[in-house]
Amino acid sequence: MSDLGRRWPVAEFGPIARARALGASLPSAAWTEGILDAPYDTAWPWIADLEVSVPRFDTQVRKVRVLERAPVVGAQRLRITASTFGIAFPFDVRLEDGFCLMQARARLYLVLMAAEPHDGGTRTRFFHLEAVPLPGTRLLRGYLQRVVDADFRNLARLAARGF
Amino acid sequence: MDALVRELMPYVGRVCGAIALDRGDDAMQETFIAVLRNLGSLREPAALHGWVRRIAVRESIRVARGGREDPVDPATLVSNTVAPVDVATVVDVRTILAGLAPEQRAILVLRDVDGLSETEAAGLLGVAEGTVKSRLHRARSAFIRRWEP
Repeated sequence: MSDLGRRWPVAEFGPIARARALGASLPSAAWTEGILDAPYDTAWPWIADLEVSVPRFDTQVRKVRVLERAPVVGAQRLRITASTFGIAFPFDVRLEDGFCLMQARARLYLVLMAAEPHDGGTRTRFFHLEAVPLPGTRLLRGYLQRVVDADFRNLARLAARGF
Repeated sequence: MDALVRELMPYVGRVCGAIALDRGDDAMQETFIAVLRNLGSLREPAALHGWVRRIAVRESIRVARGGREDPVDPATLVSNTVAPVDVATVVDVRTILAGLAPEQRAILVLRDVDGLSETEAAGLLGVAEGTVKSRLHRARSAFIRRWEP
């Protein structure tokens, strides 16, 4: 690339834009986006602590266990189990600053969380998506929408109370 | 899907940033939505890069023009409203680019940054090779005029 090319403006692709784009490609995906009344520097580290956060705001998940954690470039890769209805489902997780992609090992379920500072970092814009990434699952969207809406309301309540 | 997005992010960011400027972030999001939704239609994996480039250029021009897709008159492509640039203190590439139409910025990106031939650029933009030549000439002239003291 020429020197001129190197000096040209480069567009940014933040965690929430990335999550929105991924969600738009999944027919069954349901998502919600809103503002948490907590600083980003407080909210994201709490959300990223999946063993603590997920069972608190996701009513379908009783327990999360991190089985393995490995650093990769710009992220951490985690192997976790999320216990729902008494069954521990294995997930592969990519965790970055402001971005968390959780895929069930059997590729039957996908969860995305993304966050960015809002109002100069005093509050947090949060995006939450759940999907069944299989053909013919569009009809699940209504159910998943109720799930992510409930999760967001719980998380917003926790954020307002300082977690 | 996410691995593909991460792989393509730097390149798409350059194309969208250079063409859509302040709306580059929106163009980048629209590009990835189009890429991921239509990935199944891509028959030849080796064609991925060129296919993504085509989408990124199209979305950047569309977003930069406020969603309008009607063709512009080449005679109107050089804006006279750009503020003079003080190259003695800082070479503000963004300001210089803002004085060009999105179609001109696309030509500059394709030819001078991406290294496409005029024929390839014409094919990608869906215009005649002569149109590419004239737009490129106008864009380079405008750029150089504002770049140099």
